Amino acid sequence: MMQSGKIAITGVGETPFLRKGEEHVMAMMTRASLAAIADAGLKPTDIDGYIINKYAGHPSEEIAHAIGAGQKRFSAVTDSAGGTATSGDALRLAQLAIEAGLCKHVLVPYAIRSTKPGGVYAFHAREPQKAGLEMPAGFFGQPTYFASMANRYAHEYGMTEEEQAALPMTYRAWAAITPSAQRRDPMDLAAYRASPMISTPLRVADCCLTTDGGGAYVVSSVEYARDLAHPVVAVQGLGLGYNNYPHGVLFSQKPCTFEFPGRESAAMAYAMAGISPADLDLAQVYDGFTISALVQTEMLGLCDVGEAPRFYAAGHAMPGGKMPINTSGGHMSGGYVPGINLLIEAVRQLRGGEGARQVPEAKLCAIAGLGGNNHSTTILARM
Amino acid sequence: MGIPNYPVHLEDPSFQGFYDGLDAGELRVTVDAETGEFHWYPPEVVPGRPDARLEWRAVSPLGHAYTFTTVMRSLLPGDHKDEVPYTVILFEPDDAPGVRIAGVLVDDDGVTPACGMRLKFRPVEVGDHKIAGFAPA
Repeated sequence: MMQSGKIAITGVGETPFLRKGEEHVMAMMTRASLAAIADAGLKPTDIDGYIINKYAGHPSEEIAHAIGAGQKRFSAVTDSAGGTATSGDALRLAQLAIEAGLCKHVLVPYAIRSTKPGGVYAFHAREPQKAGLEMPAGFFGQPTYFASMANRYAHEYGMTEEEQAALPMTYRAWAAITPSAQRRDPMDLAAYRASPMISTPLRVADCCLTTDGGGAYVVSSVEYARDLAHPVVAVQGLGLGYNNYPHGVLFSQKPCTFEFPGRESAAMAYAMAGISPADLDLAQVYDGFTISALVQTEMLGLCDVGEAPRFYAAGHAMPGGKMPINTSGGHMSGGYVPGINLLIEAVRQLRGGEGARQVPEAKLCAIAGLGGNNHSTTILARM
Repeated sequence: MGIPNYPVHLEDPSFQGFYDGLDAGELRVTVDAETGEFHWYPPEVVPGRPDARLEWRAVSPLGHAYTFTTVMRSLLPGDHKDEVPYTVILFEPDDAPGVRIAGVLVDDDGVTPACGMRLKFRPVEVGDHKIAGFAPA
């Protein structure tokens, strides 16, 4: 097991999250990276390590050149997808590199241009099994996949429309008090019901946003972090789970289609951190869709299996609730920069000073990252 | 209700047997020719047995819906606005538990789709090709 409390997230930065932006991915990654480096009290020439998500489409030398960095001593590419890559796998690789003495300050940048031609669906259209066997039958696109999971979940555990609506309404309530959130307009049950249906039972309000935006963070040793103006936010626990189902069969052929390896990643993270779910002050959960956030809330141990709809409906994750979740609106109301904006929000909450949305006395935050056939749980601690 | 009309691309011959089956009025899936074990969708390599050969086998036309969704906004590439709504089913044949075949719900007037509902296979002609349809049984 990796050691707890050895690395810290020393700098975070992001671009504005826009429904349709003008900048390309490289420009957004550069802008977010420079903000994160400055936030860490560093200069670009201090960055000597890079963890790149292969889906970002730009290698580390392009990033290094764009930010005006110095000598590169370490770089790695994560082959995980989604939140697992940015909020889990990247931290594991960064800790390995820093502890091995390969580098001192690792930059993790990511940006997405959801409005590019083909959008976020093109990834799935390239899968031969989906193109050959699913698309002709009309089974295509993330909302359709996750809607089919939601119906199965409701069949097994029960979920009323009001309970389902409680999750997006909760995240919107957080976004309403987050100045940088992409959707801050209030959402009550009537507004939820007015949201267009995409694939039953998922409405537009049950889906993550379409976002053009970027985020970045810097990982350094805890020793370095102690000299900074910010409180130290250390990686206390980290777990990754994999189920090895290729993407071509992931949404149709798994024994339980809404099962992700989140229980495995959470168990590893809690063991490494030496804590239990009851010790957490807040959580950030990868909310591509209502159903995926519901099951991850259960996998983190924040409520019993099959009870997440009732957990949200009871208001437990709302501002002032016993377990605040997705405190900047998550991907469904804050912005969809897969995984990384959730991690950045966790760091900001643990530093404190986030105004109306600040969770009082926040010291421990879990971040759940979903990548489909993989899952990460990261526990950050204010030291 | 509508029917999705998206072309079948068979540049990859791995899936030809499925559509040959639809033309013959059968649901066919792939099995390991030696062990008879189902491997669906046809993988490039049978796990742990790279020398294994797959063959197509007809399965029962009777089964149930593992799950479903009614698509109100098609996300298929191109313009498919006129084809919605349709209900897509992941169908499990009675004699191939765990094998799931994507198809559309047909003959469903007055029927509320549900997980576990009994269904019977019926091929559906769409343009120049067929897709799997499933009618309440």
